[in-house]
Amino acid sequence: MAQTRPISANAPARSANAQNVSFVASLRENWLYWLILIVLVLFPFIIGWLSGDSPFGTPRGDRMVMRGESVYAQSVLINIFALSVLVMSYNLMFGFTGVISFGHALFFGLGGYLMGIILEFGGMDPNIGLIVALVVVLVVTGILGFIVGIVSLRLRGIYFAIFTLAIAEMGWLFFRGLSITNGEDGLNVASLPEWLDPARNRIMVYYVGLALFVLTFVLIRRLVNSPVGSVFQAIRENEERAQVLGYNTLHYKLFSITVAGMLAGLAGMLLAIMNKEARPEILNVSVTVDALLMTIIGGVGTFTGPVIGASGLHLLDTFLREAVVTIGPITIDIGERWTLILGFIFVLVVLIFPYGMVGTWQRLRMRFKRSK
Amino acid sequence: MSDVILQAKNLRKEFGGLVAVSDVSLDIQQGSLHSIIGPNGAGKTTFFNLISGKYRPTSGQVIFQGHDITHMPLHQRIHKGMGRSFQITNIFPNLTVLENVRLAVQAISDKTFNFWRSAAYFDGFIERATYVLSLVGLEKEINLPANLLPHGGKRKLELAMLLAPDPAILLLDEPTAGMASEQVPELIDTINAVRQQENKTIVMIEHNMNVVMGISDRISVMNMGEMLAEGSPSEIAGNSVVQEVYLGQLYDDVDEMAARGGPA
Repeated sequence: MAQTRPISANAPARSANAQNVSFVASLRENWLYWLILIVLVLFPFIIGWLSGDSPFGTPRGDRMVMRGESVYAQSVLINIFALSVLVMSYNLMFGFTGVISFGHALFFGLGGYLMGIILEFGGMDPNIGLIVALVVVLVVTGILGFIVGIVSLRLRGIYFAIFTLAIAEMGWLFFRGLSITNGEDGLNVASLPEWLDPARNRIMVYYVGLALFVLTFVLIRRLVNSPVGSVFQAIRENEERAQVLGYNTLHYKLFSITVAGMLAGLAGMLLAIMNKEARPEILNVSVTVDALLMTIIGGVGTFTGPVIGASGLHLLDTFLREAVVTIGPITIDIGERWTLILGFIFVLVVLIFPYGMVGTWQRLRMRFKRSK
Repeated sequence: MSDVILQAKNLRKEFGGLVAVSDVSLDIQQGSLHSIIGPNGAGKTTFFNLISGKYRPTSGQVIFQGHDITHMPLHQRIHKGMGRSFQITNIFPNLTVLENVRLAVQAISDKTFNFWRSAAYFDGFIERATYVLSLVGLEKEINLPANLLPHGGKRKLELAMLLAPDPAILLLDEPTAGMASEQVPELIDTINAVRQQENKTIVMIEHNMNVVMGISDRISVMNMGEMLAEGSPSEIAGNSVVQEVYLGQLYDDVDEMAARGGPA
């Protein structure tokens, strides 16, 4: 009686032909992503061609000077890549797993500082130093994510958020007071390998940033669509229910928090390479708050939302900050009132798009489909 | 029909000084539908929580398929073939109906911790989930977000999530709670159909005596944390002690049933 039937979950081996078909199908489904990728790969040259400035910088004597439209545009995009990776990693934890943390800046900042310290004080060949830094950043942020994740077993919701805030603020205070990294002035990172020095080879930094951005996007998308990712979402929806279904939810939360922390560390490394410095501000809670706002504005728990939120806000920040608008007799220097204007934008966006830009769009489209 | 699948031995639970469940013993026969009834506060749900592992008993043992599982944590009992439902509807509201059940299938698979392949690639999970949804009659709603189901549909979805891992025993905590009375027969039919098709052992807490009388093989009556009586539906209906307990609150139910000439 009541024999337990085995439940087969064997993924059948698919033929090469079927794989080709699915490749074409994926191309048709993801054509927009592929198009954006191609544009991003060609971007330095497109801007160079449009503006007539060299994408590699302008030669002066025997060295390159980083001047011109293309090189400037690359630096804007490198910043967007770093921010997007940070926000995507935050969204993995917050948007897909439902873990609210106010301490994400700690991972981001550690990425920058650890790399800076290793390159400046390690006394290694810059190329080897960079590899060592990469490994150290991944290991340290991974371990830290794991430890923070274990605390989520005892603390939930807002209490966990406050705990992470406290930890991150400790990191900020520590690096602000640390004399070998020049305290509040921050650490200059001069010993980058020449091929990755943004003052000489910005286009290489651009492609490294693009690679990190694309890999993070693909990784998070695959992760969230995988069986593990479906459990993340189950935890977000109703953690107790997931436990009763037979999932040890702690394992999944640990995994999510750890991966998010490691990605944030990589984002911090990229930013420190671009700026050639690590300043205590990258550990400040405002970094986390920015990531949170960009996630919410773009769309919590969506794939493209964080990217749209991060690029949108960074572009506004870059181009509106210097703008001076004259309407009749009134001249407004936007830079002076920038934070106020940004505040208005937040309020407006949240009112118009209650689920973020991408989230609201998806809901509208779904409702439209159902009513058809 | 003589194998005991689940056995409670002198289970006792005290909350502070209050004895919620007082040395209750119960044998559940393999393949039977065993109902536990009793007035509010009789200790039915606490007893259920002891069996399903949400609470640890103060003393006593739970034996499931010959193994002592008294101290086994909640999520491991699922893997041993025990499934339970809740009085309050407990689903993943923003996931689709199919995804709710698919997650329940995936939970007991050894391929759960895969983070690279798309979940849709694991055909077996979806196949099983679709099959279970057809058992409870939700095959048309599989792509609907679960929170858009009517209340009766949500209860059926819970039943499907419970059945998905193919448990040996189902523990149903007031499956008809909060349902409009005209929806109750449909759910009961579903439970009955599932039981016959899948050959499950079912333990069910119920408030509504009419529901229980028609479909149960055995009925246990609890009151004040103690097991008052156990027997077939007709024995319970004729038991004078049970009638006494139910005299206040549920007298009408018993009366009505007697008027209809006993259980079906």
